Amino acid sequence: MKFILNYIRKEVWSPYIAGILLGIVGILAVWLTNSLLGASGAFENLAGLIGKAIAPKLFDNLYFNFIMPPGITSNVILLVGVFFGGMLGAATSGTLKWGKKDAANSDPQWKQIFGPQTWKRWLIGFIGAIILEYAAGIAGGCTSGLAISGGMLLAPAAFLFIAGMFISGIITAFVIYRDRF
Amino acid sequence: MSTIMMLLLGLFFGFSLNKAGLTKYHKIVNVFRLTDMAVLQFMMTALVVSMAGLYTLRGLGLVTFPTVPATYIAGNLIGGLIFGVGMALTGY
Repeated sequence: MKFILNYIRKEVWSPYIAGILLGIVGILAVWLTNSLLGASGAFENLAGLIGKAIAPKLFDNLYFNFIMPPGITSNVILLVGVFFGGMLGAATSGTLKWGKKDAANSDPQWKQIFGPQTWKRWLIGFIGAIILEYAAGIAGGCTSGLAISGGMLLAPAAFLFIAGMFISGIITAFVIYRDRF
Repeated sequence: MSTIMMLLLGLFFGFSLNKAGLTKYHKIVNVFRLTDMAVLQFMMTALVVSMAGLYTLRGLGLVTFPTVPATYIAGNLIGGLIFGVGMALTGY
C-alpha cells in the first residue's frame, strides 16, 4: 500500500504504467458510455457555440451544422475532467505552480532554444495550437481522438494519421533544432 | 449519470497524461528529435492494452463498438502532416 502511494507521488511514471492506465480508461469509455475519448472536438463544439452567437451567418455551414454540431457535448465535459485530472497529477507530485514565478514558461529546454521571453512562448504556443486544431478538423481527430481511440478499434485512419504526424513532426523538429537535432 | 462518468474518465485521462509527462514541452519535442521515446511508449502501451481489452470484450459479447473514425486517405494523411508541424511547435 505504501509502495503504491509513493508511486503516485512520483512526478514521472514509467510510460508503460501510465499507458496501461490510459488503456483501461479507453476500454471503460467504450464499455460504459459507448463513446470515444477525444480532446480536439470539444474545442470545435465550443467554437461553434460562440461563433453561432456572434456571427450566425458565417457559422451556418456544413461543417458546423452537421459534422461538429455546437453545444456542450460529452466531449466538452470530458475536457473539463482532463483539465482537473492534469491538475490532480501535478498536485500529487508537488509540481503544481499556483501563480509562482516562471509558472507560465518553466521548460528549460524551451528557454534554451527560443530564449527566456514568456510572450514568445505564448505566441508560438498560440500559433501552433491554431495549426493543430485546423489539422485535427481536416483529419477528423487529434492524438487522443483519432490516433489512440481510433487505433484501439483498428481504424485505418488512425494509422495514416500517426504516419503523417511523425513524418512532419520529425521534419519540423529538425528545422527548429538543426545542428542540435 | 453519463456526465459524471465522462468527468471521471476525463479525470483519469488527464491524470495519466500528466504522469507520463505528456504535459511537458520537452517530452513531446524529444520524440520528434528521436532522443526520448516516452510519448511513443505511452501511446503504444495504451493502444495495445485497450485493443486487447476491447476485442476480448466484444468476443464475449459485452460491448458493441461505436462508429469508428471514418477513413479518408487524403484527409487523414494531410491532416496528420499539418498536425505534426503544430505538435512539434507547441509541444501539445
